[in-house]
Parts: sequence; structure tokens; C-alpha cells
Amino acid sequence: AVSEFTRMRISGVEPNHVTFVTLLSGCAHFPAEAMSLGSALHGYARKLGLDTRNVKVGTAVIDMYAKFGLMGFAKLSFDCMGVKNKVTWNTMVDGYMRNGDFKNAVKVFDEMPERDVVSWTALIGGFVKNGIFEEGLMWFREMQLHGVEPDYVTMISVLSACANLGTLGISLWLHRFIFGSRFKDNVRVNNSLIDVYCRCGCIELACQVFDRMKDRSLISWNSIIVGLAVNGHAVDALQYFDLMLNEGFQPDAVTFTGVLTACSHAGLVEKGLKYFKEMKRVYRITPRIEHYGCIVDLYSRAGRVEDALGVIKNMPVKPNKVILGSILAACRNLSDVRLAEWLMHYIYELDPEGDSNHVLLSNIYAAVGSWRGASTVRKKMKGLGIQKRPGISSIEIDGVLNEFVAGDRSHIHAEQIYAMLEFLSGELRASGYVVDDVSELYECG
Amino acid sequence: EAQVVHNQVQSGPPPTVDLISLCQEGKVKEVIQHMEQGIVADAQCFEMLFELCANSKKLEDAKKVHDYLLRSKCRSDLGLSNKVINMYSKCGSMTDARRVFDHVRDRNMDSWHLMINGYALNGLGDEGLTLYDQMRELGMKPNEETFLYVFEACASADAIDEAFMHFESMKAEYGIASQMEHYLGLLGVLGKCGHLAEAEEYISKLPFEPTAAVWEALMNYARIHGDIDLEDRTEELMVGLDPSKAVANKIPTPPPKKQLAINMLEGRNRVAEFRNPTLFKDDEKLRAAMKEQAYVPDTRYVLHDIDQEAKEQALLYHSERLAIAYGLISTPARTPLRIIKNLRVCGDCHNAIKIMSRIVGRELIVRDNKRFHHFKDGKCSCGDYW
Amino acid sequence: SFATPEEAAAERRKRKRSLRLEPPLSSLRQQNQPRPTTPQSPSSVNNPNAPKIPETVSALSGNRLNLHNRILKLIRENDLDEAALYTRHSVYSNCRPTIFTCNAVMAALLRQSRYSDLLSLHRFITQAGIGANIVTHNLLLTAYMDCRKTDMAMEHYKQLINNAPFSPSPTTYRILVKGLVDNGKLDKAMELREEMLSKGLIADPIVYSYLMSGHAKSLNSDGVFELYEELKEKLGGSVSDGVIYGSLMKGYFLKEMEKEAMDCYEEAVGENSTIKMSAVAFNYILDALSKNGKFDEALKLFDRMLNEHDPPKRLTVNLGSFNVMVDGYCALGRFKDAINVFNSMGEKRCRPDTLSYNNLIEQLCKNDLLGEAEELYKDMGEKGVSPDEFTFVLLINTCFKESRPDDAAAYFKTMVESKLRPNLGVYDRLVDGLVKVGKVDEAKSFFDLMMGKLRMNDDSYKFMMNALFEIGKHDEVLKIVDRMLREDPADFSDELQEFVREALRKEGRDEELAKLMDDIEREKKEAADREAEAAEKAKASARAAVSSLINSPKLFGIKEPEEQSTTAEAARTNDDNKQAVPEQEVSARETAVEASSTGEGAES
Repeated sequence: AVSEFTRMRISGVEPNHVTFVTLLSGCAHFPAEAMSLGSALHGYARKLGLDTRNVKVGTAVIDMYAKFGLMGFAKLSFDCMGVKNKVTWNTMVDGYMRNGDFKNAVKVFDEMPERDVVSWTALIGGFVKNGIFEEGLMWFREMQLHGVEPDYVTMISVLSACANLGTLGISLWLHRFIFGSRFKDNVRVNNSLIDVYCRCGCIELACQVFDRMKDRSLISWNSIIVGLAVNGHAVDALQYFDLMLNEGFQPDAVTFTGVLTACSHAGLVEKGLKYFKEMKRVYRITPRIEHYGCIVDLYSRAGRVEDALGVIKNMPVKPNKVILGSILAACRNLSDVRLAEWLMHYIYELDPEGDSNHVLLSNIYAAVGSWRGASTVRKKMKGLGIQKRPGISSIEIDGVLNEFVAGDRSHIHAEQIYAMLEFLSGELRASGYVVDDVSELYECG
Repeated sequence: EAQVVHNQVQSGPPPTVDLISLCQEGKVKEVIQHMEQGIVADAQCFEMLFELCANSKKLEDAKKVHDYLLRSKCRSDLGLSNKVINMYSKCGSMTDARRVFDHVRDRNMDSWHLMINGYALNGLGDEGLTLYDQMRELGMKPNEETFLYVFEACASADAIDEAFMHFESMKAEYGIASQMEHYLGLLGVLGKCGHLAEAEEYISKLPFEPTAAVWEALMNYARIHGDIDLEDRTEELMVGLDPSKAVANKIPTPPPKKQLAINMLEGRNRVAEFRNPTLFKDDEKLRAAMKEQAYVPDTRYVLHDIDQEAKEQALLYHSERLAIAYGLISTPARTPLRIIKNLRVCGDCHNAIKIMSRIVGRELIVRDNKRFHHFKDGKCSCGDYW
Repeated sequence: SFATPEEAAAERRKRKRSLRLEPPLSSLRQQNQPRPTTPQSPSSVNNPNAPKIPETVSALSGNRLNLHNRILKLIRENDLDEAALYTRHSVYSNCRPTIFTCNAVMAALLRQSRYSDLLSLHRFITQAGIGANIVTHNLLLTAYMDCRKTDMAMEHYKQLINNAPFSPSPTTYRILVKGLVDNGKLDKAMELREEMLSKGLIADPIVYSYLMSGHAKSLNSDGVFELYEELKEKLGGSVSDGVIYGSLMKGYFLKEMEKEAMDCYEEAVGENSTIKMSAVAFNYILDALSKNGKFDEALKLFDRMLNEHDPPKRLTVNLGSFNVMVDGYCALGRFKDAINVFNSMGEKRCRPDTLSYNNLIEQLCKNDLLGEAEELYKDMGEKGVSPDEFTFVLLINTCFKESRPDDAAAYFKTMVESKLRPNLGVYDRLVDGLVKVGKVDEAKSFFDLMMGKLRMNDDSYKFMMNALFEIGKHDEVLKIVDRMLREDPADFSDELQEFVREALRKEGRDEELAKLMDDIEREKKEAADREAEAAEKAKASARAAVSSLINSPKLFGIKEPEEQSTTAEAARTNDDNKQAVPEQEVSARETAVEASSTGEGAES
């Protein structure tokens, strides 16, 4: 396309706005390669005055800069534009969001003369994609208050936020909403619903959504299989896998992650290995690190550390900290301090800032009664400036997310919460629970 | 702040708003909004609002509405003040009710009645009785109705002896002939305080044939205190007198296992001689597995006194336990709880939550950063490997 | 009692204040008040033994009332396990059960003699900080008394007096006095009466009736009369409650003052009597008559009671009346009449309990009327009255007496199958009976059945072994020893070992025991060794494999750099899926933006 454009220029044909839009969006898709060409194009358009006078060209320019990550330029072009339409504004919002600049995104959003569903979606989706889920939900509520009808894209964003927060109450509400909407049979929306229910631990509802779907995509199958697997319903996950094959779907790498996770959850070592083999031989899928991870986990859980290490030895990629963490956990069960120390050496190289594995190592020392070892690890962590990440637990009550950290007294019902805990701890002891403060008191929080 | 920018300011309210009809629709919130914007309510409207707030038991609304009354022209209306007292006592705030009461200059009998009854209904019978004393000290003469509230206060304060004394004084000091309601009031004192046998005897000593209402009252007290045999008998007596009160399809009462109180047999309960004093082996195993405190007839069970150390430990409670505790006190029994945690669940918590799931009778679903844990009946879906 | 309401109030308030140092009254009440807007929780559970002010009836509203009704329904359905469990679970919820709901469940448990469940629930609610009221205390005291734990009951009563923010009710004293008298602690009961009076409670004829019947039972007629005089004086000269007359009559009978006794009778039930007669009052008189040679008079009275009985308005007979009549007939050897009157109680809406059945079955068995006793036993099943261990012991003993060992064995089996818990004595008697009639194999089968359930002693083991030795089944004995050594090695005492060895020596097989013991020891040791070895081996091989791998350059050596998935955690595979969704979403949104973009562009 670029060479064609050069030819066009040489032949003296004046490029019109359509040409520019096409070219600019072409550049936008390849931010790495087309950076210089894009700017050149912009310069050329500028010369013709197209970028300020033609709204489509201008928007395309902004979009391009946004995708290059050059929001400053985008803003400049935006300010220079004589005519702006909704799309231009939306592109700005999206651009800021894409670059994680929420403040400006919201600012632009507020300044917009007119907001449509795309604008709202851009804002909500932006927050969700940047991992600020609660903010996303807040804006969704705002959108509802303004009476703007969400579309399926909005829904997918919001559902993704719910999935991450695990807010079942809101998800149920969304589900009802979707049920009454025109996109209730949208495959992607339904996939999101499956995902959200799985991630809320509400597997029955996920299955219900799945079973009621008219059309299913590979992602639908993957979602349900992975969902069942991580929720510990290994047998069901494998059943769905068989069903999927019966319906003629070709499993992909994600499907097998689900299947292998199911096996590792249920401790089905032989079955897991069989699937792993099948994946490679029958479906010609090159195993990725997560597949190796499942197999390592499978062996580690069964206490077969040597086999786990064998997998690592034979796999073509370097093990990551998660895989090593699996083996480290197995060390705890086998009380193998030597291997643990040795693993830690590598883990530390891979992830010097990680806290959890240090804690695990310290617990392994503690479990074998080596207090010196445990305190050394703690000292080392301190020396390295590694701070234990604070543990945060959340629970949704009546659509409101409540977050807690250990020893938290900030909740308005703190007094009742602690009274309940005190009572519970008494009843726990009456039921024979012994505080296991030796091994893991400070693992999380 | 973005939100603030975003909130569009509503255009001013329409010039005339029919507050009364909003009240009739029960839209308290909207009426309050209108009043916030300067619309003035009249006495009738206030009366309706007080009634609505009393029924909804929303103290916050009540306070707002009361505030507007104080700013209005009808703030010194005695009838309305009494309604405010009623509203506050229904909303459970006797402190507010008392404040209003204390500020009313020309209190009438209703004011006193409402206060005494309010105290009684809020479990503050003692305060109610004190107020009754004050009332008499001020030279007010109690009337027939007063005694009904005094009995309510006595019931609420476990003041059985006093109730009977007040009943006596009613005739002796104030020349008020006791009526059906007064007898029922006294019966209520016994019934509400759990003196059911005494209540039954009281009925047998009534100077008149007990009516259906009397039996119905006793039946309700039997229901409250869970005496099903008395409930059945009184119900039968009530229905005998007033067949319209019969309940269809009543579940028949299961037979009692023992009737020691009436069986007149002396020393014939010899089962202890032949029953195993220790547990059977299989029971031992079961108990050991459950670890529930077994009933050991010869030693008192010791209540677990949570010591200082345990309390300090409670302070260190991990976040998931706090979230679970909050979930427990915020939701109905047996609803599953879903907790999301950003880190791995630690072994101690995992173990504790397992047992918790059994003792609280709920499914506890914890999603940590590695996997899901479905805790139910003392077990976890992860099979203890996590 | 108190002279003025003020005095009564002062006393009452003092009880409440003793909870803490002079707190404002309202705050005391307030802390137990559920705030409607906030979730409820156990109020500070600092010291669960500290007394708490119970909630008042007004707490029973809204959701908590719904909960109460729901639990009451479960109680009516006799699903007490669920009722108790649901009550417990509700403590862990936004709707705490009130003390009323807890009491209802405890009352139902008491009604079904489920004492340990009652105590367990009581412990639980106390721990949960649900303040007990007088009903709770009365239920608990009844339970203790039913279980014959008078000391515990009295200790609890002391706590109630010292700590509770309310006074005991007249019913409390009735429960305690009756319990003490029933358990032969008349002295204590008499003391309690004094305490009751000193606390300003009225002299309760029912309490006095328990005490008087206690004295009558211990043949102390003066005690009976003294109590009567005291009561009369306290009540202002006369006693209108008929409940004491039976005991009074017994007192006269004891003094052989028959005339006075019958005058008493006339006073209580004569035509112009103003005495209030309840079923219980009648029963005392009925008992006094029938136990003192006036059974004909008793029959007449019983007839009258039956005629006057008009439930629910007037109750003049109850289970106790029938029991008295049954005993009366039996004492005269009129067993048919006894059975007939027993069977007729259904007509008067009375229902026998296990005790009543046991009573009659015992009388029948004693008089060689096993057939009739068995009829009654069958009847129990039909009426839903569950037999207890005593019922079965009666039947088993009589079956042996009548040379029906197989039936005895069958009863024992039924007893064990219905989850009753016979003790070793019952088992011993059965086995003894079976062996005596030469049914050693049968006895052995019960031995096998119970060995896993009952903790047996040396004598029980010896008895069975001896029986087997005597019929030459030495191998069986060795098998028992084998099982003991495997399951309960501690049970195989030295004495038992010596006994078995001695018996085997007579046959010259004593080395077999030694061999058996050695074998099992060796087996156990081998098993343990094998396990340890296997574990050690596994560990060693794992370590060896690990160390060889650790040093292998291939493990982390020159490999392709890790894929672009440092963050894709293996165990968290759902991430993949999660990422897939936003990925779609991005493209979806983009197309949406672009679609509208081109669309708009065309317009402009």
C-alpha cells in the first residue's frame, strides 16, 4: 500500500481523504514499523489541510498517534481540528485509555458535547482493561443512571470487570439484563457470562448458560472446560471435553490447558499424561509453558518430584517461576530442604521481587524445624527489600464490594465482625481446630 | 470528582407539588426531597409522614421529617408532637422520643401513654415504670388506659410482682373497675415473661369464664416460648369457644418421649442400669471424627472463655476470615459466601475455613490467586493440595 | 412479698445492677437491642459465663419472628436435628435467633429426652452471647433433674440466684423440689422450700405436695402433717388446692388413722367440697386409696374421674391415673384388668410412655405372663412408643426363664439394631443364657457382633473362650486372640493371656499361642518396616534422581528464552481464557469505533 501511495504521488495524483484514512489506519496497525511513515503522512495531510478540515482524516491521525502511544501529538492534532464529531471525541477517550491516562480520558469524556454508547463503552472498557474494575463498574452504573442503553461490547467489558472482582450479585443482575436484551444470544456475551460465573465459583450457573446457548464457539467450550477445571470439577471438565470432540470441535492450546488443569486438580496423573501426549501427537499442538506447568504440577502433587524435574529437563523452554513454585510446594510436602534451597536460587534469578516463594521456603524450613533457616530467609527478604504483598480479600454483599486486609478495623461493622470471629474461633476450637501458627502464620494476610 | 462534574443539576422543582398525594403513595423520600427544596408541608402532611416513618422504622427519615416540623409553623402542635414521640419509639430511638417529650410543655395523657408504651415496646420497661412514677408524682391521675401501658412496661421489665400491685392499686386507689383488657394485660405480663404455668393458673382464677381471647393470648405466649403442648391445648380451648379460629391442616404434634411429670411411677426408670454408661466403640470413633463436645454426664461442660491471647490473635486474623465474618453477619443462614483473595490462602486459614464451613452450615467459596476452593461440610474441593 | 411496687422495683433493679457497677439502665438494655439497620452479631463475647440481660418479647418481630415460626414448624414435624442445626446456623447470619427460638428447640429436645443435644445447644447459645431467660433456666434445670444430676441442678440454681438479672419463677422451685424429692434428697428439698419462702414467694401448694409425698414415701407422717399445717397457715387458714390431699391421706394411713384419712377424702372430693381438684390431685388420692387397701374406693373415684374428664375444658385423668390403676390391679393379681385399663387410656386421649409400658411389662413378666408382655411390646411399636434397654432386658430375661433362648437372642439383636446401647452386663447375661442351653455358636455370633462395639472386660472374654474350649473349638479361641491383637491389643491382658495359654497347654497346644503372638508381632513390625522402607526408598530415589538432574546442564541450560509468557501462570490457566475475552473485546470495540467512524465520515 505504501509503495502504491508513493507511485500515486509521483504520478501527480492528488490523494484525497479516503486515501489518507486508509493509509493512516494502516500505519496505526503497525506502530513499530510505521512510526516515521505515519508522521510523514500526517505532515503531508497537514500541507493539504486535510487533517484539520476533514474530520475523518483528523480522527484517523489521532487514532494513529494514540496507537503509537504519542498522546501529546494526538492532543495537538485534536486541538487543531476545526470540525470534530462524536467519533473524534471517542477516539480521544479511547486513546487516553489505551495509554492508561484515566484522568485525561475522563476529562475529555466530560468535555464531550454528546456521549453515545460508544463513548461510555470506551470509558468503561478502558478502566476494565487497565485493571481498575471497580471504577469500570461505577461508570457503568453512571451510564445506567443516564439512561444510555449498553450494547454487547459494553456488556463484555462490564462482565469482565465482574469476573475479576468476583461479584456474583452484579453478575446476576447483568445476566437478567442480558436475558431481556436483543443480544441475549450473542456468543461472545454468553462466553463472558460463562467466564464470569466460573470466576465467581458458581459453576452450576455457568453450565446453565452454556447448555442454553444456541451457538457455541471454541471459546465457549474452552471457557466451560477451564471453568470446571479450576473449580475442581475435574470429571465434568473431561466430560465436556469429550462432548466437544463429539460435536466436531478441534481443541486448541487453551482447551488442553483446561483439560490438564482438571487432571492436575483431581490428581489424575496417568490421564493427564495421556492427554498431554494426545495433544502433541493427534492435535499437533506444540505445548506451551503453561502445559508443561500443568504436567509439572501434576507430578509435584503426586510427590513425584523426579518426574517433574524430568519434564523441566526435557522441555524446550526455560521454566518460569510458577513451575518452579510448583516443585517448591512439593518440597514442602516432602520436607526436602536441599532441593528447595537449590530451587530458590533459580527462582530468585527469575523473579527477584517475588515474595510468595520466599515465604514458602521459610515455611519449609519451619516445617522441618529449622528455625535458623526460616529466620535467614526472613532476613534475606528484609535485606532485599522484599515486602510481603498485603493479602486482600473481598466479598460482595448486596452489590457492594467489601475489601479487607489482615487486622483491618476500618470497616463500619468492624466490631460485629470481630465479635463474630472471636465467637467462631471459640467454636472452631470446640470442634478440634488447632491454630497452626508454626508453619504459615505469615504466609499471606 | 469526575462524578460531581457529571451530575447534572436538576432543574428546579415544579412550582406546586401535591405532597399529600405523594404521602398517600408512601413516597417519603420524594416528599423529603421536595421539602429540601423549600416546599412547606402542612399539619395533615406531617401527620401522614410521621405515620409512614413509624411504619418503615427508618430513623434517618424520621429525624429529617421531625427537623422540618421544628422549622414549620405547626411545631408547637401537641397532637403532632405526640405523633413524633410515637414515630421515634416505633423507630427504636427512645432517646429522641424522650427529648421531644421533655420539650412538650402542655403534655396530655396521650403523651405519657405514648412514652410509657414506647419504653415498653423497646424493652425499656424500667424506664417506663419510672416515668409512670413521675407522672403520679406530678399529680396526674392514671386512667383505664394508663394501666394497659403500665402492664406493658411491667412485661418488658420482668416486673411481675409490681404488675399485680399496680392492678390492685387500680381499684383501690383510683377506683377503676378492672375490665377484660386489664386481665389480659396482667396475663400478658406473665406470658411475656415466660411464666406460662403461672399464667395458666392465673386464668383458672379469673373471676369470669375465660373467653376465646384469653386462650388465644395464652396460646400465643406458648408459641413464643415454645411450649407446644400448652399451645395445642389452648388452641383447642380457643377453637372450642370460637370455631372460626380453627387452623386448617395443622401438623399434628409429635408424641413426647417421656411424661415424667405426670406418670406417678416411682423409681421405675431403671434404664440406666442396662444402658452403657460409656460410649459404644463406633460412637467413640464418630465423636472423635466430629470432635464435637460430647455430653459427659459427670462433668460440667466448661464454657470457652476467650482469653487475651486469643483476642490478640484475632487482631492478626487474615483478611479472608474477616471477609467471611462480614459475609456471615450480612446474609441469611446457609447462603453460600464467595470470597476473592489476591494471594494464596494459607494453610492455617485453609484448615480453619474447612471446619468453619461445617459449623456455620454454609458453602464457602474462596478464589485465591491460584485456584478455587469450595469448602463444604468440612471438606475442600482442592483435596488439601493448594 | 413486697409491700409496695417501689420496693419490688428496687429489688428487681438491684438484680440487674449487680451485673455491672451501676450502669445507666437504658444502656444495659440497649446493648442487647438489635439495631435494625446494622447486621446483628454476637454482642461482645468477653466472658461467656457472665450473665446477660435477655431480650424481651418485642425482639421477636420481622425476620426473627419468621425464623421462629420456621423453627416451630420443624419442631412440629419432629425434625429436631434440623431445628437445632438451623438455629445454630442462624447465629452465623444476619438474623440471629432470639432466646425464644432457642428455648423452643430446647423444650422440644427435652420433650424427646434428648438431653445431650439440649445441653449442647445450651452451651452453644451461651457461648454465642444469647442471654438466657427464666424459661431457659427452667428447661435446663428440668433436664438436669431428669438425668438425676441434682447437684448440677442445684449448682445451676445457685448461679441463677447469684447472677441472673431476674428472679426464679414459682415453676423453678417446683422443678427443683420435685427433682430433689424424686431423687431422694428430701432434706435439700426442705431447705429449698425455706429459701423460697424467704425470697418472698408465696407458699405454693404444688411445691408442698411434692414435699409431703416425699415425707409420705419415707414413712414420716409427722413431716406430712407439719408441712400441711405450715401451708395452711401461710395460705390464711385453708388450702383450696386438692393436690396435697393424697399425701395427707397417706400420712393418716401411716398412723393407721383410717377414719381421719377418709374424712380427708370426703373433704376433698365429697359432694359439697370446694377444693379444686386437678388430675394430679386426683391421682395422689387415687394412689393413697389403692395402696392402703381401699381399691374399691379407688375404682369408684377413678370412674368418677373418667366421667368428669372432658378435655380440653376439664382434665381429670391423665397417664398417671392409669398407671396408678394398673399398679393397683397388678397388686391384686388382676392382670387382665390391668391390661384392659392400660389399653383403655386411648379413649381418654391419654398416651402411655415407655415408662408406663415398662412398668406393666415388668409386672407381667414377673408373673409369668410373657405372652401378654409380648403383646404389649408389639403394641409399643404400633403406637410409636420406642422401647428402651430396660424393655428388652425384661423380655430377654423372661424368654430365658421360659426356655426360649432363640427369642431372647432375637430381642437382643433388635435392641442393638435399633441403636440402643445395652451395656456389658446385658450382653453377659445373654451369652451366659445361650451357653447354658448349649448354644455356644449362637453366643459366639453375639460375641463377634459386640466385640467391635462394646469395650469388654477380661471376664467377658474368658467366658466366651471358656465356652469354646469346652466344646473343643480351640482354633476359634486362637482366632479371637488374633482379632484382639490386631484390633485392640490392649484388651489382651496378661491375665487373659495366661488363661488362654493354660487352656491350650491342656491340649498341648500352648506353643500355638506363642507362635500366634510372635507372628502378629512380626507381621506388624514387618508392615511398619515395609512402609518405612518404602518411604525411605522413594525419598532416596527421588533425591538421587533430583541430584542427578540438578547437575544436568539440560535442566536450565541453553534453551530458547522463555516465551512471551512470563506472566502466564501455568496453574492459573483461566487467565488465558480471560485474556481471550478482552482480546475479542478490543477488536469488537475497534470495529465498532471504526464502523461508526466510516459511517459518520460518509455523512460528513
